[in-house]
Amino acid sequence: MAVTMRLVVDFTRCRGHGICTVLFAERAELDEWGFPVIDPADLDSAPLVRRARRAVVACPRGALSVETSEPR
Amino acid sequence: MTTSVVVDRLDERRPGPGDTFGGVGHPGARLLAGRPAYDGTETLAQHLDRLGIVPPPRRGAGLVDAVHDSGLGGRGGAGFPMAEKMEAAARAPGPRLVVVNASESEPASHKDRVLVHLRPHLVLDGAALAAEALSADEIVVQLHRGDPAGYGALSAAIAERTAARLDRVPVHLSVGPDRFVAGESSAVVAFLEGRPAQPRPGPRAAVSGVHGCPTLVQNAETLAHVALIARFGPDWFRAAGTPGSPGSVLVTLAGDVERPGTVLEVWGATTIGRLLVSCSRSGHATIAEIGPVPGAAVLMGGYAGAWADMARVWELPLAHDELCRAGVPLGCGLVGVLSPDGCGLVETARLLTYLATESSGQCGPCAFGLPDLAAQATALATTRVSRSAVRRLYHRTASIAGRGACSHPDGAVRLLESALETFAGDVRYHLRHGPCAGARNGVTFPVPRSSEEWR
Repeated sequence: MAVTMRLVVDFTRCRGHGICTVLFAERAELDEWGFPVIDPADLDSAPLVRRARRAVVACPRGALSVETSEPR
Repeated sequence: MTTSVVVDRLDERRPGPGDTFGGVGHPGARLLAGRPAYDGTETLAQHLDRLGIVPPPRRGAGLVDAVHDSGLGGRGGAGFPMAEKMEAAARAPGPRLVVVNASESEPASHKDRVLVHLRPHLVLDGAALAAEALSADEIVVQLHRGDPAGYGALSAAIAERTAARLDRVPVHLSVGPDRFVAGESSAVVAFLEGRPAQPRPGPRAAVSGVHGCPTLVQNAETLAHVALIARFGPDWFRAAGTPGSPGSVLVTLAGDVERPGTVLEVWGATTIGRLLVSCSRSGHATIAEIGPVPGAAVLMGGYAGAWADMARVWELPLAHDELCRAGVPLGCGLVGVLSPDGCGLVETARLLTYLATESSGQCGPCAFGLPDLAAQATALATTRVSRSAVRRLYHRTASIAGRGACSHPDGAVRLLESALETFAGDVRYHLRHGPCAGARNGVTFPVPRSSEEWR
């Protein structure tokens, strides 16, 4: 059974620094108010997961996380 | 916010054969069964006289099975199966807590405050049974500030039960800020931890709630149903409602109806149309005579609910699952009628402005997005805007939904999207001619002044 991973934002922490949209531009862009819109698709390759984790570590608010879930 | 309790009374209704809804004392009533008490509130003696104490087979662990078989869904808005919540809380290591959520946040909804005012012992019975089943150590009843009738009824009821040594689990009252999102279950948990009553992301309260303890946060009406299921069984419960949404349900009527704020108990597969015929304003005989008025609209599920064309929902039953599928969730049970003189776009702009001020401001897309939506909706309702402004409005809704820690922004977006669909003709009129006459014609759905407090 495959494990799926997604990058998720906790918007109660996010203050729109936007570093994720620089480090992970292929899956994150800014909305009209400066907050990230994250592509909800699975992180389905090792390089993608690596880049997502880099964005997680770089977020100054600790608002990002890689959510792991097993499909039911 | 109004604190008056408006209940439909038997003698003021026009009960007919096969009537499947009514107020307190109506033959079809379950939660509101029994004679209307002199001062409204049923005493412990009257309650026990009417219903007796709960027999053992459905006390303790047996209760979860009974609730499971009953198919009881939460009556706070989301309709989450209660048995699933109980099972999750029972699996998590204790100590456990049961929270009765009577902090009714939807401004036009009165069903929970009416219920705790009229039948506090039914609600407390349900809480005590749930607490026993989960071996919980404490029960907390959470109310909004500005509900003195509910507070009075509950504190008197708790005193009666303490004197009678009725409950094994101690019950406490807690009064929180009178704000829209403060009644959301994670916000209630935050408040009980001594923090601002604001929603937060994270695990479900049933698994990890107040200070990490499994916390069953359950709407007051839901627990009142539990008190009856424990007495009369799941099959009895299922005799009302529909197979997909069993049991009776409390609804509040609002807007252009005979008496806004009326709370009714609905059961059977009563349709929205039947309810609207019964409550139509005497000056507007049209609904009773010809059925759905062409172009008339209803507001379903609350101020963060959805608009719908009256004709579209006329034949739909007041059942959670079917209304969800139709895109007009029953939510807190609000059924509102837009005045024929009113303008749906103006109403929507006012409701959105209210919802924007009620954002807890924690999440950027909600804190910035809702005021933006409200301003654009107000421009559409009150000035002559361009086509591109309407397109921008559609675009904005897409970048807000699903991006908050709670569903507050999603509710606001749904309200606006349903308005743009339901009032598409009005949008065209406003684009061509500017505000319609309805824009100057009074308020169908009033909003309260927002409180400044979160504690």
